Amino acid sequence: MADKRKSMVKIKPKKYKVGDIVKVDFIVIHPMDTGMSKDKKTGKIKPAHYIDSLTFSFDGKPFTTMKVWESVSTNPYFSVKYKVTGKGKITVDYTDNQGEKNSKSKKLKPKG
Amino acid sequence: MERRKFIQSMFTASAVAMVTIPTGVLAEEAKKAPKKGPNDMSFDEAVKAITSGKEVKESDKIKLSVPEIAENGAVVPVKVNVDSPMEEGNYVKAIHVLNKGNGNARCADIMLTPANAEGYFATRVKLSKTQDVVALVELSDGTFIQTAKSVKVTIGGCG
Repeated sequence: MADKRKSMVKIKPKKYKVGDIVKVDFIVIHPMDTGMSKDKKTGKIKPAHYIDSLTFSFDGKPFTTMKVWESVSTNPYFSVKYKVTGKGKITVDYTDNQGEKNSKSKKLKPKG
Repeated sequence: MERRKFIQSMFTASAVAMVTIPTGVLAEEAKKAPKKGPNDMSFDEAVKAITSGKEVKESDKIKLSVPEIAENGAVVPVKVNVDSPMEEGNYVKAIHVLNKGNGNARCADIMLTPANAEGYFATRVKLSKTQDVVALVELSDGTFIQTAKSVKVTIGGCG
């Protein structure tokens, strides 16, 4: 059932050095159903389906954790800042309330 | 005589039924009117759960950026900037994004560490009607500060 969702980790700005503070943006295609809206085709109430936790980590060390509820918009976007300490990989793990688990990562390559 | 009584009782019974059923239905609808979500929580309850009864101060250290008027309540950008150092022992521990008008007052809880280097968070939330968005920030020394801003919503984004 759990097909891989489309997601993306973005580092802004594109060029950065060790010691710079960068923005880490995470975007995922997810319905974020509240459990209150109706399906337009069938007229049945759609069950709640939303992301409930996220972990941002750098080389396996988590630096930000989030708890999220259904009030966050469809196809959610989360942005935090991070101080670049060296080469490595930023990974975002996320789970939703129906038990789907996914992760996405992006390499950090500071120049200079 | 019996027949007359019988007919009379029939009439009254039906009249009573006519009156009671619609009001009953109305009452049920009125009960249903505030739709219940799976994890509804009022704003005061949510604040209590986060702070466990501690005092929350209004502060201008938090910069909460939300649009004054949101045409579409389904996508309201929220940005929180906390003016605070991020060092070991003195940093922003958590940012809670709350609302006052949705069924569930909680939007997101973000636990930060000194590695973040800045107390910053941005996302997009759904708002069902015109209401206040609140940023409640927990500092590493255990104190809580908050800022609220109202957002005018033209079209609700829930349900």
